[in-house]
Amino acid sequence: MAQIITDITHHGDLIWNLVARDLKIRYRGSVLGLLWTILNPLFMAVIYIVFLRLLVGRGIANEDIIIGVFAWQFTMQCVNSGMNCVTGNASLVKKVYFPRIILPLAVNLSALINFLLTLVVQWVLVAILLMMKGTFLDTATLWVPLMSLYHLLFNFSLALLVAAANVYFRDTQHIVNLLMSAWFFMSPVMYPLSLVETVARAHPWIGTWITHVYLLNPMTVIITGYRAMQLPGVAFPWTAASVAGLLAPLVILLIAYIVFQRAQRYFSDLL
Amino acid sequence: MNAIEAKGLGKWYRKQGVGLPTLVGALPRWLRGGQTDGFWALQDINFSIRQGQTVGVIGPNGSGKSSLLGLIAQTMVPTEGTVRTTGRISALLELGAGFHSDLSGRENIFLNAAILGIPREDIRRRFDHIVDFAELREFIDMPVKHYSSGMYVRLAFSVAVEMNPDILLIDEVLAVGDMSFQMKCLDRIRRFQKKGKTILFVSHALETVEEFCNDVLLIHEGRLIMQGNPSDVIFTYLKQYMVRIGMLNVEEHGTREIEMRSIRLLDETGAETATFNTGSAMTIEIGYHARRRIEKPVFGFNIKTGNGFYVFGSNTQIAKIPIAAVEGAGRVRLRIAPLTLKQGRFFLSLAVHSWDHVTQYHRQEDLHPFMIKDVSDDKGVFQLNCVWEHQPTP
Repeated sequence: MAQIITDITHHGDLIWNLVARDLKIRYRGSVLGLLWTILNPLFMAVIYIVFLRLLVGRGIANEDIIIGVFAWQFTMQCVNSGMNCVTGNASLVKKVYFPRIILPLAVNLSALINFLLTLVVQWVLVAILLMMKGTFLDTATLWVPLMSLYHLLFNFSLALLVAAANVYFRDTQHIVNLLMSAWFFMSPVMYPLSLVETVARAHPWIGTWITHVYLLNPMTVIITGYRAMQLPGVAFPWTAASVAGLLAPLVILLIAYIVFQRAQRYFSDLL
Repeated sequence: MNAIEAKGLGKWYRKQGVGLPTLVGALPRWLRGGQTDGFWALQDINFSIRQGQTVGVIGPNGSGKSSLLGLIAQTMVPTEGTVRTTGRISALLELGAGFHSDLSGRENIFLNAAILGIPREDIRRRFDHIVDFAELREFIDMPVKHYSSGMYVRLAFSVAVEMNPDILLIDEVLAVGDMSFQMKCLDRIRRFQKKGKTILFVSHALETVEEFCNDVLLIHEGRLIMQGNPSDVIFTYLKQYMVRIGMLNVEEHGTREIEMRSIRLLDETGAETATFNTGSAMTIEIGYHARRRIEKPVFGFNIKTGNGFYVFGSNTQIAKIPIAAVEGAGRVRLRIAPLTLKQGRFFLSLAVHSWDHVTQYHRQEDLHPFMIKDVSDDKGVFQLNCVWEHQPTP
């Protein structure tokens, strides 16, 4: 693990250049440019809000959905860009030596910068929605940027895994797409955690077990964490399972790091 | 001190099916217990390169040259053995790797520099110089996707030469760009040499290898065949490998009643060689053996360029040097002096046939490659004897 720190500090210049490249390219040539960073999750949130209204009726607060969708988009972006960061730079990987971990790191850092930009819009939206209800953003909102760093750690570990896997098997992108859509519904993106708790209470014999398992999902605790920090009236469910869910990213990161470092030895053979 | 040292170096590749690796392809392999077929791209490579030397790596396509460079650059992991290097290594990229087509020339300079490990400060300081070297002043803020391929290459090379490595790896990148740019590039390489950098130089341009390198490695089918001084190694390469592996459209036929058994190309000192300087003398020595007495045989030769252009041909009949009869062993010498061919690779064909051309005793088509090195600044295919005169009108 100490290796990763020296890798990063020795190649700060390269990392920064790759992040800048990523950000520049993403919106270059488009009329709205950087605005897409914000429009994208916003548009997704609007779609979910409208359709959930139509399908489920009232009951799920708009601000829950907005926070959930913005956070989910961050993870999606990290995973998708991580997937292609090695395969898309094949000529580079084959010809130049640099710590390979820089590639997923750079794309994830640029996703983080994007996410922090969208956060501003998210706050404005959520504040307006709350004001209409007569409340305000929770003061713990100030912790959100810190939370997003933790969120990034988790996203980064996923990016490491898919980046390495995609070099070995090009099936990865299809499998990951499937898994991501299943995961989307299994995480409280477009519904609050309380909905799961309500369902669990209706089925007491299996309910508590389900809630425990549900809380082990890092995305559950991360999204719920975002909500608890920003929305008054949402509390973070401190249980053994949720703490395990919170700590899981650290374990996953360690595993992902080891897997990636082993896999990267043969990247140039396979590309 | 050795800059690069390889000991028992080997690289094994799994033979991959057509297309990309997929899970479906990998599953049966796992079920069979990991038994896969592969091949050795390099095996049992031992050499050492002293600091400050320029070393050429030559060999036919697919012989493992690029794998060797990959192992030295550490982008690949050896399957067996070790390669030890001293100092910072940089590879002159397959030009433009790491460029992004949507970014401007200016942005790509900084990006490429970061990839090559050149400090940002150095680039900022030398920015104008880089742009001038690339001759791209007015296009520097244009996205490189609108560049011509020549502009692209110039930009890439201009950044690359700003590197300050201890070991420079060059993989067949100098064959691009127009004449004048190539000259500039070679000039830069000379400057690297003067600074005492170690250079490893993969190329098919044998004349350039001969000109620049102190030492040449010949690689064939993953094995290090020979390491030594450039003209010896190139000679072996041309003589043995290009012919043996069928890179040349060579042919040998005839009744063999007279057989040409030994062919030697000799320079002015009488030493066997495959490289000649323009203006020097070349002697072709044919050792023959006639199985029976043959009256009035004719020995002939011709020279072609690498792309089949017939440069010159003659024989003892045309030259009116009739040979009365041959029997048993003997020797024919042909002296070409001065050699007026200029830079490049040529192929010598030899023949011995009957006076009336009906019986071909022995023909060797394009069997003997040789190289001409031009030491003058004149341009062209042949050296013409020119004398300038100037007379101002009184």
